[in-house]
Amino acid sequence: MSDKKLKKKGNVKIDIERCKGCWYCVNYCPTKVLMVSDELNSKGYHPPKFIENPEENKVCIACHLCELYCPDFAIFVEELK
Amino acid sequence: MSLMEDLRYGVEDLLRTERLPHVWCPGCGIGITLNAFLRAVLRRKIDPNKLVVVSGIGCTGRAAGYVNVDSFHTTHGRAIPFAIGIKFARPELTVVVFSGDGDLFAIGGNHFVNAARRNHSILVIAVNNFTYGMTGGQHGPTTPTGAYTTTTPYGNPDRPFNIPHLAISLGAPYVARWTTYHVNQLQNSIYKALGMKGFRLIEVISQCPTVYGRRNSMRTPLSMMEYFEKNSIVKNDASFEEMELKYNEKIVVGEFRVAKDIPTYEERYDEVIRRAKNAD
Ligand code: SF4
Ligand code: SF4
Ligand code: SF4
Repeated sequence: MSDKKLKKKGNVKIDIERCKGCWYCVNYCPTKVLMVSDELNSKGYHPPKFIENPEENKVCIACHLCELYCPDFAIFVEELK
Repeated sequence: MSLMEDLRYGVEDLLRTERLPHVWCPGCGIGITLNAFLRAVLRRKIDPNKLVVVSGIGCTGRAAGYVNVDSFHTTHGRAIPFAIGIKFARPELTVVVFSGDGDLFAIGGNHFVNAARRNHSILVIAVNNFTYGMTGGQHGPTTPTGAYTTTTPYGNPDRPFNIPHLAISLGAPYVARWTTYHVNQLQNSIYKALGMKGFRLIEVISQCPTVYGRRNSMRTPLSMMEYFEKNSIVKNDASFEEMELKYNEKIVVGEFRVAKDIPTYEERYDEVIRRAKNAD
């Protein structure tokens, strides 16, 4: 990422019970706002958690890549108005 | 709502969400392919009541059970015969075969060859994960030479099908190949193919980390995705030799053939009926 300040454009909702912990979303998020969580869902998978840090330019830019890569239909990206 | 939000909620409507989570393993590429397909259907504004999804048997064959449209989970290898029958009886429907490599090219290989030759108007989305996933990872007609499977523990001696080459040689008007890494290109390709007629084939190179990846040093979903990411080359004018898939080597992807105005089987059949009616 360059020094340019990124504008926050979206929020991510995760359906934790659909997630199977493949971590494609974590890997392909360009701004790295998804992290593997320590928690387990009821099937025993570690879902991602959404953690932004505007100081480090870690904000959701609503690119929707996580939604396209998720094989389990577990991610919803909401765009800010 | 933005277009992308509309698509996301539209995908929910096109899924039998009460059946989720689906049966596919963590990181299996079938879900990514299904997502791309449903988004392409929404962008094409196809009436869900005019769409039929036909699958055979196998992991990919389970897709028919998750789509919230009329669908058929047929007998092994017979997705294409069911699909061409539906199209023949109800030409106004959009008929899509969504099935796996073993189902389409081993058990159903002869149906594939003849439906493509006759140019039946169906779209075939062929998910190729190089193996029989559901039955435990046996080698099949798309397993690369040298790959390890439960039935080829010292490496596969067979030569795999070159699927796009096969489809092109039979005159299929639309032939493309992508991997599940190419989420946008794949979706656009399905979108384009849905707007065409005739026998359209899209091969999707997909990961089966559970039974293929683990025997071929790609145990995790991400390691299989990285293989696709690092080794794919887009080349629309690839030669037949370049389209051939070799074990752990480059994967040439792209839109290999786009041909318009080739009469479909249904059109030629109508013509025969017309001639028969005009004869004495
Ligand atoms: S929409 Fe893009 S930026 Fe936002 S979490 Fe998903 S991948 Fe990351
Ligand atoms: S891509 Fe989907 S299934 Fe995979 S870890 Fe992220 S939310 Fe879970
Ligand atoms: S066995 Fe392989 S192809 Fe079948 S669901 Fe699991 S990962 Fe997917």
